[in-house]
Amino acid sequence: MNCEVAHERIVLAVWGELADEQVHELERHLAICPECGREREQVRALKTLTSVYAVAEPDANLVARARLKLDEALDALPAKIWLERMFARVGGGFHGLQAAPVAAALLLVLGVGGGGLGGYELAVHRALQTAPVRSVALANSAATPETNSGAKTVLPASTPEMDKVANISEVVKVPNSRMVEVRYNQMVPQQVRGSLDDPAMQRLLSLASQRAVSAGVRDNSVGLLAAECRAGRGCREPGVRNALMMALRYGPDEEVREKALQGLEPLVAEDVQVRNAILSTLMNDSDPRIRTISINVLEPVEGDTSVREVLYSISTSDENQQIRDVSRQMLNRVPEIQ
Amino acid sequence: MDDAGGKLSAEERERLEVRAQEAELIRAAQAGSRAAFDALVRQYEHQVLRLALHLTGNEHEAEDIYQEAFLKAFRYLGNFRFECSFYTWIYRIVTNLCLDQMRRRKTRREDAAVVIDHSGDEIDVLASVSDNRSFSNPARELERKALGERIQAALEKLTPREKMVFELKHYQGLRLRTIGEMLNTTEETAKNTLFRATKKLRAQLAELR
Repeated sequence: MNCEVAHERIVLAVWGELADEQVHELERHLAICPECGREREQVRALKTLTSVYAVAEPDANLVARARLKLDEALDALPAKIWLERMFARVGGGFHGLQAAPVAAALLLVLGVGGGGLGGYELAVHRALQTAPVRSVALANSAATPETNSGAKTVLPASTPEMDKVANISEVVKVPNSRMVEVRYNQMVPQQVRGSLDDPAMQRLLSLASQRAVSAGVRDNSVGLLAAECRAGRGCREPGVRNALMMALRYGPDEEVREKALQGLEPLVAEDVQVRNAILSTLMNDSDPRIRTISINVLEPVEGDTSVREVLYSISTSDENQQIRDVSRQMLNRVPEIQ
Repeated sequence: MDDAGGKLSAEERERLEVRAQEAELIRAAQAGSRAAFDALVRQYEHQVLRLALHLTGNEHEAEDIYQEAFLKAFRYLGNFRFECSFYTWIYRIVTNLCLDQMRRRKTRREDAAVVIDHSGDEIDVLASVSDNRSFSNPARELERKALGERIQAALEKLTPREKMVFELKHYQGLRLRTIGEMLNTTEETAKNTLFRATKKLRAQLAELR
C-alpha cells in the first residue's frame, strides 16, 4: 500500500467506513510508516475538533410551529393534488404492468376467470337472498323517505368503513330523539343514521370535526360531541376527546373553540392531556373571552403546579387586564383550597 | 431448511415490526389517509428539522425546508415504491432542498455561530451546547464558542455537496452507502467527496489543532 491510498483509507477508517480486511492492511502500513501515523492523528483530531460544533435538538416551539404551518398548508391543498396522486398511483400501476407483461397477462386471465366465477356465485346468492334485502331497504326508506329518493343510499351506522370516508358533508340531529344523521362522501355520497350512543356514529362525528366539507358541518359535529361530553355520555372514546382537543387548538372561529372547551370541561380533572390542551389555549388563544373561559374551566385543577405556574405567569405579565385579574383571583383562592 | 424466523433476535424482530408498521402507514397515506401521513410526519419531523437547522443555521430557513419537504412528500408519496426505506426517501427530499438553499445563498453569515430564530432574534448555537466536564468554566465556554464559529466558517467554505456529505456522515452519523442513495450518487463518489471535504477542513482549521 502506498501513502496516497493510505491517506484515503485513514479518512474512511476514522469515520468507521473501512472494511475489516482493509483495516488490517492499513494497520500494517501504519506500523511501518510514521508519516501516515501522524496523518491519522491529524484526521482524528479534526473529527474531535469539528464535534465542538454540535447538532442541537430543535426546540419544542419550533417543532410545534412548523407542524402547525404544515397542517395549514396541507388543509389548503386543492383537490387537484388528490387527483394528481390518484393518477400517479394508477400510472404507477400501469408502469408495473408494462414492466412485467407475464404477470399482467396472468392477472388478466385470473381476473376474467375469477370475475366469471364470482359473478355466477353472486347471481345465485342474490336469487336466494332477494326478499330479506328488499325488506331492509324498505325499512330504511320508511325511516328516511326524504333522503332516500335520489341516488344516495341510507345505511345502518355500523356499515361505513372509516378509511373510505372522503369527507363529512352534513350532520343533522333528529329533533326530540337520540338520533343523528351524518352524511359523508365516498365515491358516491352516502348517509347513515344512528344513535349518538353508537361508537360508529361518534367516530363519524369525530371525523367530521377534521374532514367536514364546510365550517358549518364541522361546527355542528363539534357542538354535538361537546354536548354529549357535557351530558356525561360518549366522552370516554379517545377519538371524541382528540377531536375536541383538535377543535380547541385549531378551530378557526371562537364559537367552535368555545364549544370544544365546554365539551372538554368534564374531563379536565381526570385527563392531564385535556388539562394541558386547555392550559395551552389559556396561554395562546387569540380571543380573550376563550382565555377567560379556559381559566374557569381549569377550576377543578387549580391546585396543580403547572396550572398555578401558568396562572402566575399570566397574572403578572399578560397584556390583557381582565385576564390578569381573573387569573389573580383564581390564584388567591388556591391557598384556601390546599 | 433453517427456521429463519426462529433465529431472529428480539431486536431484529422489533425492527421488522417497526418497518412493517411504517409500511402500513405509507400504504394508508398513499390511499389518501391524512392521519397516516400525519403519523409519518411526526415520526421524521425532528430529524428533518435537526438536519435543516444545522445545515442552514437559520430557524426560518429550516422551517421552510421542513414545510416544503413534507408537502413534496405528500404530493409524490404515490411514487414511493418501497425500493428504499422511507427514511432514505424523505432525507433525499430534504437534502436536495438544503442543497438548493445552500447554492442560492451567496452571502456568508458574518457571525456564523449565531442562528436567527422565529422572531428575528439571534440565538447562540454554541451556548445551547452544554459542557458537562467538571472543569467547565466561563473562559472555556468562550473558547468553545470561538472554536465553533471557526468550524462553522470552515464548513461554509466547502462546496454545498461537500458540506452535505460531511454533515450527513459526521454530524448525522449516516453510512456512506445511504448518503450516496440520498444524493443520487454512488458510495464511491460519496467517499471521494468526504475525503475532499476532510482535506479542505484540515487546511482551514490547521492552526487550531
